[in-house]
Order: sequence, then C-alpha cells, then structure tokens
Amino acid sequence: MVSKARKPLDLSNLVVWATLGAFFTLVLLPTFYLISYVFLRWNEVRVEVFENPIIGDENWRQILKVLFFSFRLSLSAVAFDLIFGVPLAYILARKSFPGRTLLEDIVTLPLVIPTSGFGFSTLITWTTVAGIGGFLGLNSGLISLNALIPIINVPFILFVVHVALTFPYVVRTLETKFQSIDVTFELASRTLGASSLTTFRNILLPLAIPGVLSGAVLAFARSLGETGATLIVSGVSTTASIAIVRWASEFKLATASFMGSLLVMIAWAIILPVEVYVGQRGRSLKVPYRMPRALHDRLIKFERFASKRLSRIKDVVPLAVVLTTVVIPIIVVLNSVIRYWSADPYTGKVQGGVLYQLFGPSNYFNSLLRATLTSIIVALASTYISMCLAVPLAFIIERRWYGRIIRTILKVPMIIPTSSLGLSVLLLWGPGGFNLAHPGIWLIILTHIVFSVPVIVESIIAAYEGSGLQMYEDSARTLGATPYNAIETVSLPLLKGGVLTGFILSFTRSLGETGATFIVMGRDVTIPALVVNMVEALAISAALFTSTYLIVLSLILLALIRLLTRRR
Amino acid sequence: MSLIKLVNVTKRFGEITALDRINLSIEDGEYVCILGPTGAGKTTLLRIIAGLLDPDEGEVYIEGRLVNGVPPERRNAVYMFQEYALFPHMTVWENVSYGPVIKDWDRDRIDRVTSEILEMVRLAERKDAFPHELSGGMQQRVALARGIASGARILLLDEPLGALDARLRVDLRTQLRSLVKDQGLTAVHVTHDQEEALMIADRVVILREGRIEQVGTPHEIYSEPRSIFVTSFVGGANFVEGNVAEVGDSGSVVELRGGLRIQVSKRGRSIGEKVVVAVRREDVTVGTEKVTGSNNILGMVESVLFIGGSIEYEVRLENGERISSRILLSDAPKTYRVGERVVVSFPPERCYVFPYPKAGLLKEIEAV
Repeated sequence: MVSKARKPLDLSNLVVWATLGAFFTLVLLPTFYLISYVFLRWNEVRVEVFENPIIGDENWRQILKVLFFSFRLSLSAVAFDLIFGVPLAYILARKSFPGRTLLEDIVTLPLVIPTSGFGFSTLITWTTVAGIGGFLGLNSGLISLNALIPIINVPFILFVVHVALTFPYVVRTLETKFQSIDVTFELASRTLGASSLTTFRNILLPLAIPGVLSGAVLAFARSLGETGATLIVSGVSTTASIAIVRWASEFKLATASFMGSLLVMIAWAIILPVEVYVGQRGRSLKVPYRMPRALHDRLIKFERFASKRLSRIKDVVPLAVVLTTVVIPIIVVLNSVIRYWSADPYTGKVQGGVLYQLFGPSNYFNSLLRATLTSIIVALASTYISMCLAVPLAFIIERRWYGRIIRTILKVPMIIPTSSLGLSVLLLWGPGGFNLAHPGIWLIILTHIVFSVPVIVESIIAAYEGSGLQMYEDSARTLGATPYNAIETVSLPLLKGGVLTGFILSFTRSLGETGATFIVMGRDVTIPALVVNMVEALAISAALFTSTYLIVLSLILLALIRLLTRRR
Repeated sequence: MSLIKLVNVTKRFGEITALDRINLSIEDGEYVCILGPTGAGKTTLLRIIAGLLDPDEGEVYIEGRLVNGVPPERRNAVYMFQEYALFPHMTVWENVSYGPVIKDWDRDRIDRVTSEILEMVRLAERKDAFPHELSGGMQQRVALARGIASGARILLLDEPLGALDARLRVDLRTQLRSLVKDQGLTAVHVTHDQEEALMIADRVVILREGRIEQVGTPHEIYSEPRSIFVTSFVGGANFVEGNVAEVGDSGSVVELRGGLRIQVSKRGRSIGEKVVVAVRREDVTVGTEKVTGSNNILGMVESVLFIGGSIEYEVRLENGERISSRILLSDAPKTYRVGERVVVSFPPERCYVFPYPKAGLLKEIEAV
C-alpha cells in the first residue's frame, strides 16, 4: 500500500495559500509591476522618451546620462568600501581590544540613522562654515558642494555620503564571514612559515570570497537606491534614484517608469547572478593563476616586510575613514544645534536660530510633531503587517521544497532601488492603477511592507538555521503536541530573538526610508522627508534640529538592537 | 499480539533506498536493539515507527492499528533524540511535564506524575534548572523522564547513550534497561555499538544497507551468526578463504591457500565450493604443542598486543595467512615474543563456514 506523503509539518494548506497570496499581492506585485507597466504603456513611453514632438529624444539622452553617472558613483563607492572595509572587518573579527563593540556600533550607525538626517550632517560638515571649514579658521566650507573628484568625475560630497552609507554592509557582512572561518587555518599557515599578509591572501581571502561578494552586492544595491541623503547633497548632479523622484513629481510618469525599470533590470542583472553564486553553500574561490617565480618570491618578501612594518597602516587608515565619514558629521551636527540654538552665530540674526524656525511663523515644530506621528504610525503598521506575513513565510521557506525559490525571489525587493519601488507602488495601487489609496499614509504603509517583509524573514531565518528547531518540534510531536501546539510552545519561543530583531530592523528601516516615501507620501510627510523639505526651504536650523532628533532616535533603536542580539 | 508490527516497509530518499522491505514484530514489554553501521537505515526505521517519516511502501501497525499517515502525537510512541532535544527555554520541570500539559491532564495528576518521575530519575532537586545547567548524564535522564511522563508506552531511543563519555555510557546501560523494564515499557533502541546492544537487549535486529540481516537474542547473534557481515560486525573474527575438499559425516575438510587443510564440523557444503571460514579470535589458542581434536597450524608470532586483561597475538601461518588470537592473561601459561615459532589451534566446531560472497570478502568485512 502506498501511503499519502505527509510533510514534516502540517501547516494547513489554508495558511500556506493565504500567506503566499498575501506575499504575492503585497510584496511581489509592486516589485514587478513597474516593468510590466512599461510594456503595457509602451506607446506612451515611446512618445515621451524617444519621439517627443518638442524635444525629440532628449529624455532618452537624459536617462542614459543619469544611469551612467549612477553606476559610476555606486561602483567607485563599492570599490572604496572594499579597499578599506576588508582590513576593518578583519580587525573586528579577529582582534580583541578595548572599544571593539563601540567601533562596531559606530560602523553600523549609518544603517540606523535615517539617511536624510545623515546626508544633512555630511553636507554641513564639509561645505559650510559650521563644519570643518570653520574649525580650520576658513570663512567658508572646506569643499564646495559641486567639487569633483578627478578621474571618476563624481562630486566629492556625494561620494563621501555613499561610502559612509554603504561601508557598514561590506564591513559587517565580511566580519560575520571572517568569524565563521576557523582560525586554525590561519594558525596552520603561520606555523608553516607564511607571513600574516601571505596567509590572508592565500587562506582567508579565498575562503571569504562569498562574504566579499555579498557585502559588495548589498553595498552596491544600497548605493544605487539611495535617495534620502542624495537628495540633500546632490547639488547639480542627478543620480538615477533622485531623477525618478523628480520626474515622478513633475508627472513625467512614462519617463520615470521607463528609467525605473531600466535601473531595476540592470541592477538585477548584476546582482542576482552574484546572489545565486553566493547562495550555494561551501563556495570559495581560488583563482588558478601562475605567477613568474621571481615575482612570486618578491611578493612573498614584500608581504613579510609589510606584515612586520606596515601593519599599523592597516589598523589606522580604516579607522580614519570611519572617523571622518561617520563620527565627525554627527559631532558637527550636535555641536551646530547648540550654536544655532537661539540665533545664527555668524550673522547674529534670530531668524537663523533653531528656536525661531521651530516656533516662529513657519512653525516647523508643529510639522515635526505631525511627521513624528506619521512616521511612527507608518513604521508600526507596516512592521506589524509585515510581521504577520513574514513569520509564516519564514516557516514555508524552511519547510517546503519550494522554499529556496521563494527565498531567492525575496532578494528581489531587497535590491530594488527604493524610488523605483515607490513609483511602482504609486502606479499599481494609486489613482492611476487600482485606485486603492491616494498618495498618503496608506500608500506609504503599502510601500514599506515591500521591503520590510524580506528584512524580517531574513532575520527569522538566521535565528532558525542552526537552532535545531526541527528536532525540538519533532520531539514535541512525539510527546503529544499537535503541529500548532508545537509551533506555539516550542518554535516561536525559540525564535523570539530573531523575530524581535527583525521587528526592530524593519521598524528602523521604515523610520528612515526616504526615496520611496517621497514619491507616495502626498501630504503625509514623514520625518526624513521633512528634513529634505526643510533643506530645500533653506530652513537650516530646523533641519539641524530634526537631524539631531533623528540621530538620537536611532541611537535608542541601536541600543535596543544591541540588547536583543547580545542576550543569547 | 505484537505491539509494533512492520510489514514490507520500504523508504527511499531519491536514488537511495534507505529501507528495503522490512518485516519486524516487537512484543509488548520487549527491549529491542537495532544494530548496524552508519547509514544502515536505523534512524529512518525509528522515525517511521514514530510517525516522523512515512514509508513509501508497506504498513506500520501499533497495537494492531494501522498507523500509516497517523501523526506522531497520536501514536503514543515517544522519540528520544541523541542530543535529547530538551527545550532550552523551559526548566527541567516544564520539560518533564510538557507531555501531560499538552495533553491537558488535570493539574493534580500533572504535578503528581511529574514529581514521581523526577524522583525516580533522581532529579527532583534540579527541577528548576534549565537544561544547559545540567551535565550530559542529567540531561539524558531528563529526556528519559520527559518521555515516560508523557504516558507513552513505546520508547524510541536514537543512540540514547551516544552523546555521553565512554565511562558513563557503560554505567548507564543497565540503568536504562531496568528503568524501561520497571515501567513495563517497550523500547526500540538504535545503536551502532555492538557491545551495548548485546548487553542491553532482549532481542537484537542487525540492519545493513536497509535490510534486516539477522534477528535474534544476543546469544544467538553472537554464537550463530548467519552471515560474514554479522560475524564480523558482532564480535569480529578471522576470515580465511578456501575450497571444500571433502564432505564427511562429522563435518568437512576445507583446503586453504597453499594446500593447508582444516577440519570444520559444519556440513551442507558441496565438494569444490569456494567458501570463507571464520574463527573468532577468542576461539584461537597459541601454544608450543598440538592440541588433540583441534586444527593445528604452525606459524610465527608477528605482533603482540596487551589489551588490559587479555593478550592478542597476530600469527603468520606457514601458508602466509595471518590469524589473530585473543587469550585471557589468566589462561596464558607463558607469553610469546615476536619471532617465536608457535602452534595455532582452534576446534572444528568453532569454525563458521559461509559461501564465498559474490562481491568479494573484503566488501563484506569492510562494510562494517
């Protein structure tokens, strides 16, 4: 007799289908809609982009220019991240020294701080007299807003912001990877006579290649999609993400969506193959190359010399990078808020002070309170809804044969540039599409769900793997627990850490998101969007205060994350 | 009526057949050990009885009821993992009372049963401790207590002593058996340790590559092994190849390599057949003179090993074959040194004769 095949866990089919259905409509549909929109409205796109009766194919040339600029910026930022991130990750993973956790936190900070606040801090630091310029006794900022870095032709300030915001992805991903590699390999290599640099090149780096790649991919995706800080520091240059925001607000929807889908497709074409490659377990990379004997000997000799004499450089330079890109801007902002409190310290005008701008005629304080309320409602609602979806989804991914496929699909909303996402949600659910909601709080929530679900799922899966959950559940079952008993009494309590971490990560992300929010928010302004508005209205002191407010808020969240992840 | 009955149970994982038409009955109150090398399908068999896996073919009966497709919580068979799977977020008390609580017994009964069983495994004082605060042996007892408290009649033990250190493992064997017997439970115990299986079980099932090789009492398994594999896996032996040269009333004569002839008392072989003769190391003696009634072969001592209370010689016979002999120190009149010439003796009735395996002798032995 052939018995019916029974799955290890009877998630009843209803739950599975409801979850998959919700996942499809709330997460996948918005992700893919933009691309299909371009095909569905191809005529409109053609007329607006290629055969415009007035400007011809000017829009198409704009798109190409912006895309090239964006990729140049992102690639150079990632290259910089790798050069300085690898040694820093190594130090964090292998050395113990006082202040290690503090350094870790500082590196992570840009992930937590809402980017528009962070972008504003960087702007103040480099380009105004309140920053480094004033500190050095100059009468202006150290660098002008549009000063270019030679060779790569990217504005300095934009580059700094993108490095700061992407650096944590490379460092933290690699740090985890290095930690997972048994230290005995290195010890063995050292006792066999290799210097520490040779060991690093021959042993650690090939084993850590998946970490290098996934860190680089995350950083690249982040840089490509970055909007909040970029809007503030971009000056005259335009990245792809902010072009989408601008065009969407000018109702050039066809151009915006065409470019959005181009951006998405190119990003996927670069990122997905890497993700798939990295996703296969036990990957390492040993490039089969043959070096001339003499060169090889010299390399080994140099590495020996460098390991002995130059190791300080490896310790100090990455620290300097973190210091200048993360710590100084924050200090400058905190310092400026105090100096600008009652009046502009340079002109002496009360109108330039924080108090006047907050409580004066423009009454930014009121807007800030409203924005805080909006942000918190959005963050709570989107995180809660995502949570309801992510918990069963994580179980499906772990328990069903098609779990791997779903997990790969989940990478897609994670790497979609957020302004493209915002546009997609607007077109899908907004007045032009299903007309489910007008731009405003509901649309923001729908947008945030798309990127919150993957964040929470990943964090639950991280807790799931290596927890031996299946064994505990099987054990509970043979002791008399039904599948639901087992999940309730055993699995969920064991996954509590992962679920909570996912909650906070998603909450933080939602609180800081700017790019997508800007497109779908209508009149319900969130705090990061408010900072952008303030900067555009030249209400510098109000922006200073709001940035400080955001930084403090995110520091509290960071402390919470620490507390939750440490207890184990 | 058997408590557990498996009929033609087959389980495949992709290309691999983990279990191949298993038929087995286990009586109420019996302690059965499933013994086999890694990858023999032992754990798969246990999981199928527990309901954690479903067979691809065949039927599983518990208490006469067909349980194919019945979920594990309705089988009254508790599965104990090698790592114990004590719930890390629950105390000892909560772990042990988990079954009763989940089955919604009344409060008084839960408390009574739990404290009784904790008393029995001598852990009443540690009832508020968390699993990670306990030693390996204590954790093992909690896992056992949790299984018993759930009211299950069948204990499915997957290498229950495997995670303990060697000394404790030996001590706990007898305790485990007496606990099961005292409670009137039925136990199916999976192990790859033949000594453990022989010592603890009422009946031993030898599993190899998904098939049952032999079922019997520990004594039967040891003294009447039915195959080269069982002989080699349980107890171990010397194996020599040869051809049947004569068949008589009292046994037969096997001609080994180099024309050497030995007497074996087993019959039922035909002349010219290629066979393998197995002699247990404990049945081989080493001396300076021939022993009457035994096979006596000249040889030279190649190595001497002291193993606690006994001594093991490896002797190179005149035809080039090597034979090992294990002799209790108390039975050894004198010890021989490497290079000494000796006579190796073993009685014909202690020789097992098997047909020569198709895949070759090494495959049968090395599969262990």
